[in-house]
Formats: sequence, structure tokens, C-alpha cells
Amino acid sequence: MVNEKEKKTGGQVLEEWKEFVWNPRTHEFMGRTGTSWAFILLFYLVFYGFLTALFTLTMWVMLQTVSDHIPTYQDQLATPGLMIRPKTENLEVLVNLSDTKSWNQHVQILDKFLEPYNDSVQAQKNDVCRPGHYYEQPDNGVLNYPKRACQFNRTQLGDCSGLSDPTHYGYSTGQPCVFIKMNRVINFYAGANQSMNVTCVGKRNEDAKNLGDFTMFPANGNIDLMYFPYYGKKFHVNYTQPLVAVKFMNVTPNVEVNVECRINAVNIATNDERDKFAGRVAFKLRIIKKT
Amino acid sequence: MGKEKQEIYSIAVNGTKDIERVDTERSDEGDGKEKRKRHSKKDHQKELKKDLDLDDHKLSTKELEDKYGTNIVQGLASTRVAELLAQNGPNVLTPPKESPEIIKFLKQMVGGFSSLLWAGAVLCFIAYLIEFSKDKSASMDNVYLGVVLIMVVILTGMFAYYQEAKSTNIIASFTKMIPRKAFVIRDGKKREIPAEHLVVGDIVEIKGGDQIPADIRILASQGCKVDNSSLTGESKPQSRTCHITHENPLETKNISFYSTTCLEGTATGMVINTGDRTVIGRIALLASSLGHEKTPIAIEIEHFVHIVAGVAVSIGIVFFIIAICMQYRVLDAVIFLIGIILANVPEGLVAAVTVSLSLTAKRMAKKNCLVKNLEAVETLGSTSIICSDKTGTLTQNRMTVAHLWFDKQIYQADTSENQNDQIFDQSSATWASLSKIVTLCNRAEFAPRQESVPIMKKVVMGDASEAALLKFSEVIMGDVIERRKRNRKVAEIPFNSFNKFQLSIHETEDPNDQRFLLVMKGAPERILEKCSTIMIHGQEQPLDESTAEAFQTAYMELGGLGERVLGFCHLYLPEDEFPDTYTFDVESMNFPTSDLCFVGLISLIDPPRSTVPDAVMKCRSAGIKVIMVTGDHPITAKAIARSVGIISANSETVEDIAKRLKIPVEQVNKREAKAAVVSGMELKEMSPEELDELLIYHTEIVFARTSPQQKLIIVEGCQRQDAVVAVTGDGVNDSPALKKADIGIAMGFAGSDAAKNAADMVLLDDNFSSIVTGIEEGRLIFDNLKKIIAFTLTKNIAELIPFLIFIIAGVPLPIGTMAILFIDLGTDVIPSIALAYEKAESDIMSWKPRHKKKDRLVNHQLALYSYLQIGILQSVGGFFAYFTVYAVQGFKPDRLLYLRPLWENGILNDLEDSYGQEWTKYQRKYLECTGYTAYFVAVMVQQIADVIIRKTRKNSIFQQGLFRNKYIWVGIASQIIIAVILSCGFGGIPILNFITLWVQYWFVAVPYAIVIWLYDEFRKLLIRRYPGSWWDKTMYY
Repeated sequence: MVNEKEKKTGGQVLEEWKEFVWNPRTHEFMGRTGTSWAFILLFYLVFYGFLTALFTLTMWVMLQTVSDHIPTYQDQLATPGLMIRPKTENLEVLVNLSDTKSWNQHVQILDKFLEPYNDSVQAQKNDVCRPGHYYEQPDNGVLNYPKRACQFNRTQLGDCSGLSDPTHYGYSTGQPCVFIKMNRVINFYAGANQSMNVTCVGKRNEDAKNLGDFTMFPANGNIDLMYFPYYGKKFHVNYTQPLVAVKFMNVTPNVEVNVECRINAVNIATNDERDKFAGRVAFKLRIIKKT
Repeated sequence: MGKEKQEIYSIAVNGTKDIERVDTERSDEGDGKEKRKRHSKKDHQKELKKDLDLDDHKLSTKELEDKYGTNIVQGLASTRVAELLAQNGPNVLTPPKESPEIIKFLKQMVGGFSSLLWAGAVLCFIAYLIEFSKDKSASMDNVYLGVVLIMVVILTGMFAYYQEAKSTNIIASFTKMIPRKAFVIRDGKKREIPAEHLVVGDIVEIKGGDQIPADIRILASQGCKVDNSSLTGESKPQSRTCHITHENPLETKNISFYSTTCLEGTATGMVINTGDRTVIGRIALLASSLGHEKTPIAIEIEHFVHIVAGVAVSIGIVFFIIAICMQYRVLDAVIFLIGIILANVPEGLVAAVTVSLSLTAKRMAKKNCLVKNLEAVETLGSTSIICSDKTGTLTQNRMTVAHLWFDKQIYQADTSENQNDQIFDQSSATWASLSKIVTLCNRAEFAPRQESVPIMKKVVMGDASEAALLKFSEVIMGDVIERRKRNRKVAEIPFNSFNKFQLSIHETEDPNDQRFLLVMKGAPERILEKCSTIMIHGQEQPLDESTAEAFQTAYMELGGLGERVLGFCHLYLPEDEFPDTYTFDVESMNFPTSDLCFVGLISLIDPPRSTVPDAVMKCRSAGIKVIMVTGDHPITAKAIARSVGIISANSETVEDIAKRLKIPVEQVNKREAKAAVVSGMELKEMSPEELDELLIYHTEIVFARTSPQQKLIIVEGCQRQDAVVAVTGDGVNDSPALKKADIGIAMGFAGSDAAKNAADMVLLDDNFSSIVTGIEEGRLIFDNLKKIIAFTLTKNIAELIPFLIFIIAGVPLPIGTMAILFIDLGTDVIPSIALAYEKAESDIMSWKPRHKKKDRLVNHQLALYSYLQIGILQSVGGFFAYFTVYAVQGFKPDRLLYLRPLWENGILNDLEDSYGQEWTKYQRKYLECTGYTAYFVAVMVQQIADVIIRKTRKNSIFQQGLFRNKYIWVGIASQIIIAVILSCGFGGIPILNFITLWVQYWFVAVPYAIVIWLYDEFRKLLIRRYPGSWWDKTMYY
């Protein structure tokens, strides 16, 4: 009693499709005549034109309210992050003493990274500032830009400056330098007027043992207050980010050493559970040496 | 009639295919069952295919005893009973096979979108495995998502199953059989046993009021009459005797069938068939083996699922390929695919649709339409033809006095349900005599103990016409019984088909009048023969030619109205011949039965229910064809059809035209007649093509004298016209038609269990007008489902576009998969259900029923308007919120383009923004979640506008009334509350990726919400202004 559904043969289906795509009787393409298609296209053209205009207008209004030199909100950057150079894959600084290629890429990255820190460049572009004090350049009602930046000379990095250094930042000798930088945050007064520095430790006990001695440049891993506050890319054109270089003197070779460096500053929390890079940075050192 | 028998079994032949299918299914699962049982099933099936080869009616008592190994005096021996019971099983109808609960449950989990979601979940696990194989510390996010997806599938499946089960349970309580008892003689002793313990060969006794417990061969009968209406549809009582009167077992009077009722008298019989082997059992079994076609709404939803799934899969594949071409990793491409599927599937829709349907089902139940299958709610709405029973559905199912004729004049009686408005002239002395005859010449009595019941509702013991007359006189003259007591009955001849009259002799209530009064009623022509005078205004006048002619005219007129006419006459017996000591002998008839005085005629009819003409009118204006299918006489059927409007006042049948033009019927152009009255005999001669023609060219059709089997043919004929057919029925024999119909409607009072089982809906009050209210609800829910789906589909684009932009433009992901799930299953659920409460926009009963194949639930207008217009608008609004959040935090839109590889790089913890600030990965992730939440909130805000615009499809919101549907506001409140809770409360749960969003971000998308509303008002305005225009055709969904 059930009406058997008429099974269509493949040919019939094809035929139906053909007719759907182009129906010669009604001059319909995909079920619509030419004029119908024209109407549809015209309508959507107008409709999407209107939408684009609406979107552009609202975006324009919104961007009008956004300042050029400082973002409207900075709540999500309360704690600046720390990062290392060379920035390697998985943050593992791998130095194979018998394989120049393994560390040469790091060296090249560092050369390029440190180029703007050359004393000549700094002297030419930036001011000598008073250490231990914020270098504030308030607008005082009138926009005051470009803002000046303080000098951070490459020579301040001592053994890690890589200047006339045959050891290539110590990479060729298994005493690599790792540079630590703090993320830029506009109008952030790091240290809250007190001195701050970067310290590094081995993550676990055995790491501490394997880590051995290290030297920091500038001494104690100090970051001077004069590099703050940062006024943003657009206004603070030649801003030079302060660095701390850590030279690991005698890392136990052929083991992975977990190092964690953090900044000790009054107003930077370094114990955020979820953000592993808030005020601190963890990386691995591995020196491979044939014995 | 022999042909009719064939028809029953023509169902069997066609039905076997289905039975075989069922059987193969059974044998798959039946391995664990007893082998013997399977064997008996096979035999049983063969039996079904065979013609009814019952010859027990031809056998003599002795042969019967031999055949069944029984003794008609002693009955069966208990040992033999046990044996037979074990062999044939109990005497019950096997309930229709239901698929096991677990199968129903699993079906809910694989159908429709569920399969897409399963695919999504599997992809999630695959993605995780790929990641895990590369990196042991891979994030578990994909696993969580997969688990959540599976949970979504299972929960929505459980929900749909629960809703479905709930509505099925309502019916289950109906079908529960009342335990029946039977008096049986076994081991020479009479005892009462439950009817299901009867076996073949048992000797049973039945009496008036009993239901026949099995198919029995009558062995002895004392005035036994049965009501075979549930089997044949004929409601006239039929006598049962022990003699064979017909070759056909269905026609012979010495067989009585299971589930018919014994009205009066007693009988003894031998059980010849039990359970499913009874005639009714076979029919019920056939009905249950008839496949049920998919409901229109199921087809619509399937169509819709195909559209959405097609969009999802094709976009998914296209972008998978694009992603691969853009040199994304395969893993990423798989994750994109998950996102695209997830965004496209309206996860909450199934639940919303189910709830809406069950809400409507509940509303319909209040209006006396009990829906068995949720989907039937909508089927009723798309009904285009109703094949309605007459008796009980269109009519009140009780004989009622319709007209009186006395003093050469026809008076009309009140036939409404309570009859309290009898306005005819009661002052004539003729009426006094007539009323006396009506009261006295009547054997019907009110059943005891119903003093407080209104007269019309009282139960009467006696035949239908007598009951009608009893109630009629009780209403007009008060206490009939008291009056009968005062006029003591001294003799009586009950009605029989040979005499065609009923007679009784009474003492009069006047103590001074010692005469006896002889009163008589019966077939008018027979009564008139016995009369020589006629009473006019209380005076006896000789019956002359002109009076006889007046009688003929009145008789023909009343008969032409399809009414059953009775003649009444009386005679005061002369006191000298019949003193009060005279003993009347009804055998020898020692009293005059001629030269009586004719008093009047009373005609009876089963009058239409007072609400029916209105309901039929409503159907007519709603473009629904009402076809009457009845077992009754064509003239009666036509009269009722006219009085309820199934045949409208100004339309004619072929016969009417012939009569008017005074030409032979053959010469009439059949196309001219709007109406047609077709008898079962004519229908039998018709080829399917002729039937099709009949159904197409006549708008008003009455099928009279049809057997219930012919109903099936009629239903099939209607379905060939692509109509959605509703069929009402109550008898067991109706069940195949009920099953075959798109929506079978069984009667709650009169309906048999088999009919209720086969039906999709039960009318609690047996009233045709309830069907019409049901249709209204069904149409409303179809419209509202459109709104619900349009509402739900819109935001799918707003969920999908982010993924596409993410892949193409490499911006950070605007919305996460979890947020998508929370829109689909959180904020959007209650508003979409609230749309089910929306009132109709215009008079939905003035539209034609939707065309099954042309008016789709989801048409391209709906899809395009939701997807390409409002959906895109919403996405733009969402992106505006997204860009705003990033811009005010430091990432201007230009910085975001193609930032994705850096943005998602976990090592890169000093990513520079537009201002030169540097961001760690976590800080970016937090910002990304802010973006998700902002986008989520933007979509939510715009969905508020969406739910408001979806209230109407054509009218302005203000025409519809913003506050008429309060549930919409509950829905909107729920959207906001859920969003606030998610944003505030769950900000801490990392997996959900929600963060607490600042107040200002909540209002970013408000301008877009307003634009959505304004644009939709504009669309509706143009539709109203320019009906039929290009805009109307393209934009009205």
C-alpha cells in the first residue's frame, strides 16, 4: 500500500540537473531568468554596498575615538613579559661545539639584534640621561614629540657585547650569552622609582648545579629607571630597550639545563600562575661537547 | 457483498510485502526465541495471506463438535483447554509491533544534524591524536570539545526522545484494554473466566450488553441482536440465530464476531476463532503492517537538514581545500573544518522544534485533539482533504425528532443538543392525541438512578428511535413514566420487520372513560393502510383522496430530507365490545387493527452537531475539501451533507440537474455539477482514473453506503492528487484507512482500540469542529516553525563568517567553538521556543492549505534572507565589536591582518601591537577571549533584534503588538541573563574561554541591532505595499 518512491535513474537525474542549470524553454539559468538574476545581483550589490558603508562608517567613528599614541585600555598589560634573545625554537639555546652551524644562526640573529645598540648609533640619536631617574617628557598640554630616548650602549654589555669578540658571544667556546629584555608597555613606570634587576636561577636543584657560574651585564643585571617610561612607537621613535646579558661560564655539557630569569621590581609580579612569561622567562640551555 | 469480502483481502495481498519485511526483521532478532514460536509465526503469516475460508457456519452442531473436539453441553475438558491455550496463545489481539525503546532512543541520536556533530566529534579526536603524536604535551582542548559535542548529541537526543515518549504515553493509557469476562461452560460447569483465556471450542454464553469475546458460531439464540458497527460500519442492530442465512461467513446470521456487542437477548455459541485469528484480529494486524509514510513535517525537516548539511559540508570542504592551498598545516585545516561544521549546525534547533510541537500538542489536547505522534500536529495543519465519518462526528449520534406532521401541516422540532426550544404549535387537540400515542406506544425506558442527569444526556434502554421519541415527549410533557403508569398497558405487540408496526392497548387515565385505547406506530404507508379516518384539529374526519395526497406529499418531503418517518394512529375501542374485563390476546389478535384513526407523522434524524456547519464553513474558506464517507443511505447522507454545508446550498449534483432540467442523468454535463453523491456500489464499479476524475472535478463529495474498506480506496484516490488527507474513523475496519491516511483521526468515545492504535490523533469529543481547531493550531505551528528556523539559521552565518575570515585574512579567531555552542544551546534556545507562542499574523484559516511539494518549510527565500542578508548583517556587527575590542586594547585592524601565525605562536612572547607595546602569549590569549566574548555578546544583542523581527513575516511589529507574546520577553531576558552569567560567572573556567566583559562592550553592536530591525521593517513594508512584486516574491519567506 505504501507508495514506492519512484527511483530516478542516473540519466534522469543528470537530465534534471542540466535543465536546472540551463532551461532552454524558459531561458532560465539555475532556476531564474536573466532579468531575475540581474535584479538579484543588483539587489545584493546595493545591499552589500550599504553594509560596507555601514561598517566603514562605524569603524571610522570607532577609530576616531582611539588615540594615536596610547591605547584606550592597557589593563591587560599590567605585568610586562620577559623574553630572551636569541629567540630559538622552544626557547632552547642549543650549542653544539663541534657543529658551527648549530650556533652560527644564533650569532647572526644577535648581530642583527644588537646593531642599533652600537655606541655610534646611540650617540648619534639618543640622549645621555641621568641614571636612577625616570626620563619623563610630559606633554604639558601641547603634544611634545618626537620624544627623546636614552642611550643604551652596546659596550655596556661587556663580554656579551660581541664587539671584537672572537668567541662570538661565547657560543664558540660553550659559554653562551643570552640577552633578556622586558616587554615594552606604554607609560609603564617599571620599578616604581626603585632600582630593579634581573636574576637567573636553575629551575630545579640539579639545574642549579648544572648551571654553574654566570656573569651579568650590566652588573647585577640592573635595569636603569631612565629607560622608562616608554611613550609608544609613534612618538618614542628611537627608543632603545634596555637589555640584560647573561653569560653562562661553565654549564655542564650534554645535559639540558632549565634556567629561569625574573625581574625583581616592586611593581612587577612574577608569580602569575597562568602567564608563564609575566615578569619572568624560562629557557633551556644545552651545550653539546664531544668528550 | 461477496465482492466486498474480496476487498478486505485485497489489502492482505498488498499488505504481505510489509509483513514479510517485518518478518525478516523479526527473524534477525528472534534467534534467542523458542523455535516453536517462530514456527507458529510463519504459519500465522501464511494464514493471513489466505482467503477467509471459514465454513463453520455451514456445519451442523455435530460436525462442529467433531471439528473442535468439544461437547456443546459439557463444554471443553480443562486438559484440552490447557493444550489449546498453549498451542494458540491467549485470546487477545497482538498489540501493534513497536520498535524497542532503545532503537527509538538511538534513532534520535543518529538522525538529522546528529551525524554532522558526530563527524565533528570524531574530527576533534583525530585532531588531538595528530597533535598528540607530534607532541606529548598537546593541549586537551580538542578532546574537551569532542566530549562536549558528544554530550550535546546525547542530551538533545535524550530530550527529543523524552518529549516523544511523553506524548506516546498519553495514548498508552487509552489503549489499555479493560479486562473482559466471559461465561463459559467447561467440564459441564458454567463459570466466569477472563476473556483472554478462551480457546477454540469453548461454549460461551452471551447476553445483552456483553461484548462478544471471540468469533463464535451461534448454537442457540433467544432474541439475540448484535451491533456490528465496528466491523461493517452499519449501526442497525442485527439479529443472530443459529441458522445459516448466507453463504458468506461475514453475512450469515449464525456467526457473531469478536468485539462486536450484543445489544439484547441471549445466545449460546461455540468459539471458532480467537485472538489474532478472529476476523477483526486479522484486520487489525493488516492495519498495523501497513507502512506509515513520513509525515509532511518530517519531510520538511529532512529537507531543511539537507540544505543546512549541504551548506556545512560544501563550505567545509571548500575551505579545507583553501586552507591546504594557503599552506596551513593539515591539522589546522581539520580544526577549521570542525569550526565550520559546528558553526553551521543549529544544535539547539531540534530541541526547540520538539518543544514547540509538544507545546502545540498540549494546546490541542486542551481543545480535545489528543496527538499521538508529535509530528502529526503539523500534518493536521497541512491537511487539504478531510474524509469524515457522518455518524457521531458530523452528527450527534442519536436519533432525534426533527419534524412532525399533523393537521396537514409540517412542524419543525428543535434538533439542537439540548432541545429546550420546541416552538411548534402545541395547542391543537391533534397534538394531544399524538403526544399520547408517542408516550404510550413506546417500550423505551430511562435507565434507573439518573434523576439528576439532564434529559438529553440520560441513558435510555431501548431502540434508537424509541429513545428519541421518549426524550422528545419527556421534554415536552414531563414525566413520561408516570403518564404510562396512569394509562396501564394491557397488551402489546412489539415491532417486528414483518408487521412493520408496533401496537399497544392501554386503559385510559380518565376514570370516567372505561374505553381501552389502542395505539399504533410504524411505517407510514402500513399505518395509513390500517386507517379509515384522520384527525384534523382534534376532529376525526374520513380519510379522503385529498388528505391521502397531503399525507403522501408530507411523507415524500420528510423522506427526501433523509429522515426516518413514523406514522401514528389510534383507536378508542368501543366499551360495549371491549369491557374492562376483556382479555386481549396478541397471538390471535382479538381486537381491530383496521379502520383506525390516523393522527400524524413524526420524522426522526440523527441531526448534525450544532457546531459542525460553522466548522465546515471554516474548512471551506481554508481551502480544505470535506468529503463525507458514510455507510448510511445516500438520501440521508445527502440531507445531512446539505444541512452541515458539505454540499452547499446552491450547488447541485448530477441528479439534481437532471431533475431540474427534466433530462436523463446521462445527458447532464458532469462538469456542471459541483456536488456528487456516490454510493458504494457506484464506487465499486469505478476505475482509479474515474475516481481521480471524480475527486478533481467535484468539490463537494459525499460517499454513501460505503464499506469501511472503500474508505481506503477513497483515501488513496485523494493521496494521488497530492493531497494531505485526514481521515476520521472509529471502527476496527477503519484502521487500514486511518493508517493509510496522512493523519488518521480516531474517535475518543466511539472509537475502537484498533482505530485508536492506527490513528495519529484521537478526538476526545468525537466532534468534527475539534478537527478544525486542530487544523488552525497546525497551520499556526507551521508558520511559527518557519520563524523559529529563520531565527536560528541567521546566527549560523554570524558564527561561520569568523572562521572564513580567520582562514582567509589570518586575523586572530573572532569566536571560539565553545562560544558558538553557548549561543546555539544557551542564549538562543528560549527565544526560539518563545516564537512558538506567536499569534497568527492574519486569519490563517482564510488561506489555502500549503502544497505538500511547493510550500516548503524552508524555502530559498527564507534561507537567502536569513543567510545572506540578516546573517551577514549580524556578522558585520559581530566583527565591529571584535575590531573595537582589539583596537582599544592596542591592535588596530590593519595590524591584525595576517597576524595569525605570529599571534598563535606560543614561543613569541613579545608580539608588538600597533603602539609598539609587546604582548606575551597569555596576554594575547586573554585578549582573544575578550574578542570571543565581545563577538558572542554582539551576536546575542543582534539576536534580540532578530527574535523581535521574526515575530512577523509580513506585518509590522507594531501591528502584531510588541507585548502580546510575553514569552518573547522571557526569551530576551534569558538571552541577556545567560550571557551575563557566562561572562561573569564562568570567566574563571579556562576551557570555556569567556571573560568578564566590560559594560561598554555590551553596547557596541546595538546600532547594528537597530539596523536589523529597521531593515526588516522596511522589507515588510515593501511586501505589504507591493504584493506580488519582485520584492514580495524574493523577500517573503
